[in-house]
Amino acid sequence: MIHVVESLDPAVVKMDIRDLNVYYGSFHAIKNASLEVADRKVTALIGPSGCGKSTFIRALNRMHDLTPEARVTGTVSLDGTNIYDQSVDPVVVRHRVGMVFQRPNPFPKSIFENVVYGPKTHGERNRNELMACAERSLRRAALWDEVKDRLFKSALDLSGGQQQRLCIARVLAVEPEVILMDEPASALDPIATSKIEDLIGELKKDYTVVIVTHSMQQAARISDLTAFFLLGELIEVGTTSDIFTRPKDRRTEDYITGRYG
Amino acid sequence: MSEATLSLEAVRARSARGVRARRAADRLATGLLWTAAISVVLLLAFFVGYIFYLGVGAISWQFLTAPPSEVSAGGGIGPEIYNSFYILILTLIFTAPIAISAGIYLQEYAKPGAFRSLVQFSAESLATVPSIVMGLFGLLVFVYYFGWHFSALGGALTLTILNLPALMRVSQEALASVPSTLREASMALGATKWTTITRAVLPSAVGPLTTGIVLIAGRIFGETAALIYTAGVSVAAGKGAYDLSPFRPAETLAVHVWYTHAESVVPDVARIGNGSALVLLAMVLLFNVGARIVGRFLTIRFTGKA
Repeated sequence: MIHVVESLDPAVVKMDIRDLNVYYGSFHAIKNASLEVADRKVTALIGPSGCGKSTFIRALNRMHDLTPEARVTGTVSLDGTNIYDQSVDPVVVRHRVGMVFQRPNPFPKSIFENVVYGPKTHGERNRNELMACAERSLRRAALWDEVKDRLFKSALDLSGGQQQRLCIARVLAVEPEVILMDEPASALDPIATSKIEDLIGELKKDYTVVIVTHSMQQAARISDLTAFFLLGELIEVGTTSDIFTRPKDRRTEDYITGRYG
Repeated sequence: MSEATLSLEAVRARSARGVRARRAADRLATGLLWTAAISVVLLLAFFVGYIFYLGVGAISWQFLTAPPSEVSAGGGIGPEIYNSFYILILTLIFTAPIAISAGIYLQEYAKPGAFRSLVQFSAESLATVPSIVMGLFGLLVFVYYFGWHFSALGGALTLTILNLPALMRVSQEALASVPSTLREASMALGATKWTTITRAVLPSAVGPLTTGIVLIAGRIFGETAALIYTAGVSVAAGKGAYDLSPFRPAETLAVHVWYTHAESVVPDVARIGNGSALVLLAMVLLFNVGARIVGRFLTIRFTGKA
């Protein structure tokens, strides 16, 4: 079965995932998952712990390349080009598809150096240009006012929520088209979480966002589309309001109504 | 049956006895472990104090700068101090690039498998070779086969082979101490593996790496057996003792301590031996303390983290 949202116009499909399988050694972690990710929308991936949603999202910017025992089959198309094609450089893929991790992972460098890490890596050397980029990215991540007076202090002195917004700013500085977020608020307190959620609402004006979350409330609050995973299978995908009010699959309904997970 | 009929007070009393016994055991264990730990400190303090007591009388500007004497009293250790640093620096120039590169390869590139196991097995085997055996190997290869006679270069190359495994391990461990989330963060920003290593991993590892290198520098500084038959037990006369050439006999301070006691015929052998030992010990302690300070400084410098 192919999971498509009936209303999704092919013109607005940013990423098209077809028959994706991920294996860790002999463990079959993702089974034949297909999903269309709409441009400039927030797509939430929900499901109980261990259902494969993190494994799925890591396949979207080839992070599994870093894990020797992981193997990926199927296609993941970004604007029509399969990112697993032999001719595609994973470095370019990750440039276009950025990622924010579960735990804030700033580099042990200054706030400024964290933000401009990507641009510097891609060859930008002009100090004024880097400074402008840092300000632009930090403003977009709603962190500028809190850190503008201590840009050259260590990023490790920031609070967890600030560190996570710094990690988002660091991704924005690379100017990606898609931002993947793997439970970005799970290590944060409620206030920091709501700041991240507000930020995601802002970001979808310019970026395509795919977010893994273990919180159904969070998915309901911030996402336009929701995909439900169970035991490595993508069970159902639809608009968030449909998934939460009129799920088609029995298992989705059981999960939404709290019967397991 | 009797268990079930015990009164509540009796059960409480019994459990209090149990708690008391366990507390006593806990105190005993804590005391023993503390004693073991403090004896390390006392041993070091006694050792340093004794060497200081014996050696301090010998220390003078003349002693630290004068050339050694073969027959008469009043010899110094100037050239030996110079040679110790000379051989140390030469050894680190050879060892550090190879060891750090191998460490990077093993930690960041090598996949678990036959080749990585081979490299690690070789390094471990090399690390178990006694230094006197390494010295005799150096004698055969550098002194006889290459015909360099006793030379600073032969000594440094012997020490390179001797310390390569330890420094490789230190490098690997310094890199392993960097959390993998930093590598992921860097790769996810579109950095290549090489950029990730040079810009994210190495700056985070520079503190432990420096500490490791300086500690091994202390070992190189104090190494004796491997140098007796390679760098030799003599220095050139006059200004030649401070020559920059690596092709000259270069007795180090540690070798001098051994040599004066074992072979020398000068009348003030005890004075020279004790004074040299004190200088050597002070230098090695300085390396250990320096390792911490420099490591800490570099960590703050490169990572902004206190």
